[in-house]
Amino acid sequence: MNRLLLALTLFFIASPSHAKDPIRVGILSFATPEVVFQRWKPTFDRVGSEIDQRFTLLALTPVELQEQVAQQKLDFIISNALTSVTLKKDYGASSLLTLLPLHSVEPDGAVGSAIITRADIAIDQLDDLTQFAVVSSDPKAFGGFQIMAGELALAGINPFSDLKDLSFVGFPQNKLLDLVVSGEADVAILPSCVLESAINSGHIAAGKLKVVLQHDHQNYDCLASSELYPSYAFSKLGYTDHKLATQIVRALLSIDKNDKEAQLGRYQYWSAPVNDSHVFGLLKTLNKWPFVTNWAFLLKGAIPWVIGSFIFLLLGYLHHLRVKRLVVLRTHALSAEIELHQLTQKSLYEQQKQFYKAQRILLTGEMASGIAHELNQPLAGIRYLTQGCLYRLTPEQGELDTALNKVIQQVDRAQSTIKRFRQFCQQPSVYETCDLVMLINETLNLMSPELKRVQITALLTLTEVSTVADISLLQQVLVNLIRNSLDAMENRPTPALSITLSEHNQQAIISIQDNGIGLSEVALSRLFFPFETSKQNGLGLGMVICKRIIEEHRGNIFATFLNDDNTQGLNITFSLPINIHNATIETSRKSAHV
Amino acid sequence: MCNIYLVDDDQDVLDSLSWMLGGLGLSTLSYLDANQFLSAVDLNKPGIAILDIQMPNMDGLALLNHIKQYNSPLSVIMLTGHGTISMAVQAIQNGAMDFIEKPVDGGKLCQLLQVAKQQTLASFNRQDHDKEVKIRIASLTPREHEVMLQVLEGKLNKVIAAELNIAQRTIELHRQKVLLKMKVSNATELANLMAMSRHSTLGV
Repeated sequence: MNRLLLALTLFFIASPSHAKDPIRVGILSFATPEVVFQRWKPTFDRVGSEIDQRFTLLALTPVELQEQVAQQKLDFIISNALTSVTLKKDYGASSLLTLLPLHSVEPDGAVGSAIITRADIAIDQLDDLTQFAVVSSDPKAFGGFQIMAGELALAGINPFSDLKDLSFVGFPQNKLLDLVVSGEADVAILPSCVLESAINSGHIAAGKLKVVLQHDHQNYDCLASSELYPSYAFSKLGYTDHKLATQIVRALLSIDKNDKEAQLGRYQYWSAPVNDSHVFGLLKTLNKWPFVTNWAFLLKGAIPWVIGSFIFLLLGYLHHLRVKRLVVLRTHALSAEIELHQLTQKSLYEQQKQFYKAQRILLTGEMASGIAHELNQPLAGIRYLTQGCLYRLTPEQGELDTALNKVIQQVDRAQSTIKRFRQFCQQPSVYETCDLVMLINETLNLMSPELKRVQITALLTLTEVSTVADISLLQQVLVNLIRNSLDAMENRPTPALSITLSEHNQQAIISIQDNGIGLSEVALSRLFFPFETSKQNGLGLGMVICKRIIEEHRGNIFATFLNDDNTQGLNITFSLPINIHNATIETSRKSAHV
Repeated sequence: MCNIYLVDDDQDVLDSLSWMLGGLGLSTLSYLDANQFLSAVDLNKPGIAILDIQMPNMDGLALLNHIKQYNSPLSVIMLTGHGTISMAVQAIQNGAMDFIEKPVDGGKLCQLLQVAKQQTLASFNRQDHDKEVKIRIASLTPREHEVMLQVLEGKLNKVIAAELNIAQRTIELHRQKVLLKMKVSNATELANLMAMSRHSTLGV
């Protein structure tokens, strides 16, 4: 590729088509541009003057030629048969004329390959070549290598791997002959007729070198070691104007072998294109063998793709990295979220556990209390009656006195048992500072499954209020009240629950309002009595506990049943004094019964 | 002379309690709830109310508040089977005479009732006395009232005369009139009377 690309533009004087672009003709050659121009300039001068056009001749190596064709920089091509069919196959170049070179009679058998060695070396078959130092000019040379490569390939020999000592030494071709003569190489692969020309010109003495593995060709003046193939072809590219092509073909066909253009061009004349099927055969053979793959060209063609693919892959990789990172981040976030969720769930579960424990204890206490009360009433009655009897005894009824006094003792015993039982079930309260807003929110959180079941969101109107209270007891109150509301709204189409927290006269007022079925007047009046329940499985202690707890906090609780056109439902409000003094808390820490 | 009222929502308990007190020779009146009690009893009269705490509608503590706010001379004894310390404190603070646990021993209740009887009568008498003193004070002329205030401060006639800028003789006349109207014989008795009266502030 160091080779200078020299373009020679021919100007035709008196040409009216000065402004026209010159017609570009690419000529495949390994020789220097000067040699190429010497050979072809006269021919195209003549054609140019005949058709009133200018030509630019470009001497191109196979790689350059293919490039220029690919870039559509050429109008016509002069190239060897193999390159012509390759371009025909790849770029739709159509062969217009075939050259009939000197020494040839038939245009379809004009070029062959010759294996030339010294007279003293015996080569009987192609396999023998593997033993010798072989030289060739260029792997792209048609007669000088590719034809023979095809022959070798058909014989099952890969010239690049099987010929141990193969080297390409370039041009001029006579140099190869010199190498063989001097013994630096044993065999030269050259186009046919090169040896004959060298002998004719006196460059090599006759008899020193010979052509081995000769093929017998009739109508061919030179010795060849291969099949013969057509020589140069003149092709037009697909986009070239066909009228122009016709004009040029006509002009080329008019050149006779006696014309000076033909003599300078070292050919006899241009003929109609020949059957190139055997050239295709050769191309096919060579293509089967990777050694003819035009790596450089492929590479060049592939570079944009390679770069593109690389960039694409790089981008893909970067994307992959980014996605991976995002995945990692998201995974982190998710696992953190899951962890948090689990923690929340755990703490909720803990809260619920605490709540149920507290509720159990409260219920036990309240049940004891309730039973105690229920038993206490008849016991009180018995005691009163007995004492009444005692007071009515006359002195004669002294026996009864003892018995009745024993009744009283029994009653007192029963009562002290009940009292101890009740005290045993009583739990001391723990007072601490309590943010009521937080308490309400935590309670709703605790009850979220139940709220979800009724599909309800509590309407909250909360002002910041804090007081000193037993948080778990107050939570019992809230849960009981809210649960009652939810139960009352079980079958309501549009349940509504509102919770209000406000401050009034040093009292925190919490109000819970539902739109449920409410209570009858009798039920409302006995709302805070033990074992009074409207629920099938209820114990009837919930409201008693609420009242007990609120009163222990020195608050009040009351229920109102709203039943007018707009609102129907129960409103339960309780108040808690704010700023309970620590001293009073201490005294009420133990809520023993009097 | 002095009624004993029992208020409890449990008829059996009411019956048995009144049976016991009957055995002690005390007659009682029973009511099943606060409203029944309030509609039947004259709160201005002396009496003893024994109240259960746990009752529907108005509970015992609420009834106690009502009675005390009415400024009734009634003695109130809270009797409950279900009381807590805080309830007891509340009841006592609100003017209950005692807070006892059900069932109460007849003897103990009897003693309590004695005290309660004294208290309600004293309270009634004081109220009666207050009313009387009020009427007497109302009968004073403004000038006499003025002179009485000075006398109560222990001032001598001539000092009062100087301060009110009237003749000492006139003061003496006013003073005699005041003693007469207030039905006392001297200044010391007047001071005693006024001290006993909760209306001694003389906010006429």
